[in-house]
Amino acid sequence: MAELFNHLILGFSVVLSVQNVLLCLVGCLVGTMIGVLPGIGPLATIAILLPITYNAEPIGSLIMLAGIYYGSQYGGSTTAILVNMPGESSSVVTTLDGHAMARQGRAGKALGIAAIGSFIAGTFATLVVAGIAVPLSRLALGFTAGNYFAVMVLGLSLAIVLAGGSLLKAFCMLLIGVTMAMVGADQITAEPRLTFGSQDLYDGFGIAILAMGLFGIAEILRNLENPERRPFAGDVVGGLLPDRKDMRESAGAIARGSLLGAIVGIIPGNGATLSSFASYVLEKRVSSHPERFGKGAIQGVAGPESANNAAAQTTFVPLLTLGLPSTATMALVGGAMTLHGVVPGPQVIDLHPDLFWGVVTSMWIGNLMLVIINLPLIGIWVKFLKVPYRLLFPMIVLICCIGIYSVNSRPSDVIQVALFGVIGYVLHKLKFEPAPLLLGLVLGGMLEDNLRRGLILSHGNVLVFLSDPLTLALLLVTLVVLGSALLPALGKRRELLAEED
Amino acid sequence: MELEPTGPHGSRTVPRYARVDVIGGAVMVFIAGLIWYGAIGLAVGNITNFGPGAMPRVLAGILLLAGGAVLVHGLFQRPGEAEPLTLALRPPLILTIAIFLFALFIRGGDFWFLTTPRFGIMVVGPSTVLIAGLATPEANLKELLVLAFGLTAAALLVFSDLLGVPIPVFPRGLENMIPPSFGLDAAVRVLYLVYGSVAAAFYVIFFGVPEALRG
Repeated sequence: MAELFNHLILGFSVVLSVQNVLLCLVGCLVGTMIGVLPGIGPLATIAILLPITYNAEPIGSLIMLAGIYYGSQYGGSTTAILVNMPGESSSVVTTLDGHAMARQGRAGKALGIAAIGSFIAGTFATLVVAGIAVPLSRLALGFTAGNYFAVMVLGLSLAIVLAGGSLLKAFCMLLIGVTMAMVGADQITAEPRLTFGSQDLYDGFGIAILAMGLFGIAEILRNLENPERRPFAGDVVGGLLPDRKDMRESAGAIARGSLLGAIVGIIPGNGATLSSFASYVLEKRVSSHPERFGKGAIQGVAGPESANNAAAQTTFVPLLTLGLPSTATMALVGGAMTLHGVVPGPQVIDLHPDLFWGVVTSMWIGNLMLVIINLPLIGIWVKFLKVPYRLLFPMIVLICCIGIYSVNSRPSDVIQVALFGVIGYVLHKLKFEPAPLLLGLVLGGMLEDNLRRGLILSHGNVLVFLSDPLTLALLLVTLVVLGSALLPALGKRRELLAEED
Repeated sequence: MELEPTGPHGSRTVPRYARVDVIGGAVMVFIAGLIWYGAIGLAVGNITNFGPGAMPRVLAGILLLAGGAVLVHGLFQRPGEAEPLTLALRPPLILTIAIFLFALFIRGGDFWFLTTPRFGIMVVGPSTVLIAGLATPEANLKELLVLAFGLTAAALLVFSDLLGVPIPVFPRGLENMIPPSFGLDAAVRVLYLVYGSVAAAFYVIFFGVPEALRG
């Protein structure tokens, strides 16, 4: 316990410099600003804003990135409540009761309870992250190459199974991502692999470029296709602070949501979305007035919002302790860390304690900022919501171009963004969701490296490779996970989840 | 601008070649072939120490199977379940042009078959916004003109001046004309002030003085 306390003190001493607080603030503000735009979720927001964080030093840039992440989540909830348009799949359930409250003139209260619930859940989740990070990374430090390979295979399988949609198609995307990770100079021989003679590909695919194209530009293309749905946002937001009765009604929901979210978030897969759905169902079940749900029940906002924020936070756990990003968003964060020379994995806590604890505590600071800064700014976000899309998307295109060019000063990067934008759009139209591709791209190199090392250590004997009990157990669990996803009953549920996305 | 008329799903039979899963599966099979082709020259090695060509080949093989399964699934779908592929052409085309022009002229250079001059943000900024803005049928040229200069001014203020992002601002010829005593930074500030004023002027000309400012 004392150790945990010391760690948090170290973290706060890192975060509470003027520059880092400022970066966190800017991250939260910019993240909320972009996240509040209908149709642009956290993934696209981070993809668009990633290059901006490259200018700061590693710790500052990660703190800013974390700020952008929470800001975009919070922005998504704002849009969900005010205009009934979820900016991201994890706030889909928020639209149900949140928007119902808004129509009753209680939009302010919905936003307020969402922020307060998120903050409480965030505080709890920060403690969870701080508490389990050390033991988990100690455990991971003892992993052999074979264990690591198996952990990655299991993580990737869980990620594609729990994300919903067609398993086969997600698998295809994953394979392509893993292959793309191999493009460029070979790790050992340095000979060009799969570059097809292109000099630009010798350095491999840039994760920021790919994400910006596949998620940023492609998202614009998707939105442009639908005739503009004019967001209706009422001017009357009403009082922001929930009264005593609201707090009493939602306290249980917030507590249950926090716990549920913190647990679900650690499991690879779309934790934030899954936990918000689960929390909504749970609240409806435990409520003595289930008929009020969908008609503006405050628990229907408080529970899922707390859950998705707690989950958003604990999804950092696999990345920071195992080096295993469990969602596309975390893959981007991992990519950003690598770019700053910090390879995500169990060694991060020991090698860069200031960075690790700095990021963990900045999660809490970021949540606090959302409450004390974003709530008063709600009027500005509402105004921003009303800017027509036809004026917004050229701005996003310009930010993308300047942002990605500024990273390497390479025009070819900008060209790649355009190409991946079109590819992402076509993939979406073909009903292939590209998120697993990003996971594959980030993990592909490690996957191959660990398999190769594992096989060298077992002298090429697959049986020896598999005889390590942990490797075998993990691979068996993988088989069970994949097998159960193929069962008809579960398949139906996954389809439902995908539709509701 | 649609390749296929969008009808409600299942209202008519979708020919096999136009089905989402058929095309998607075929694309995956094609990519698998491409990966295999790219890996031909790479050593496979053996299982104790596999070479750079091993993983790509294995992955290509699995992708071939997975993509093939999607393709077959698409071919044998019940007609009612099949969905046609519909693609809008205007947005992807115009956005690609806008972004390509940014890439080609931001600092200039040699690209495959053409050599481009450096125009910098001064020219490329407004052109990107203006062209990208045309991607939607709701585009309004007057609005876009205001937006193009206003956003470029804002981008220069934020990226070049405040964040110090190294990005070419002026066309090369123009930059050489700036007297060293004046300095590049000052010139950038002048530029965004001018562009900001241009945007404001366009706004007043096109839409009149905003009510908030009317005395």
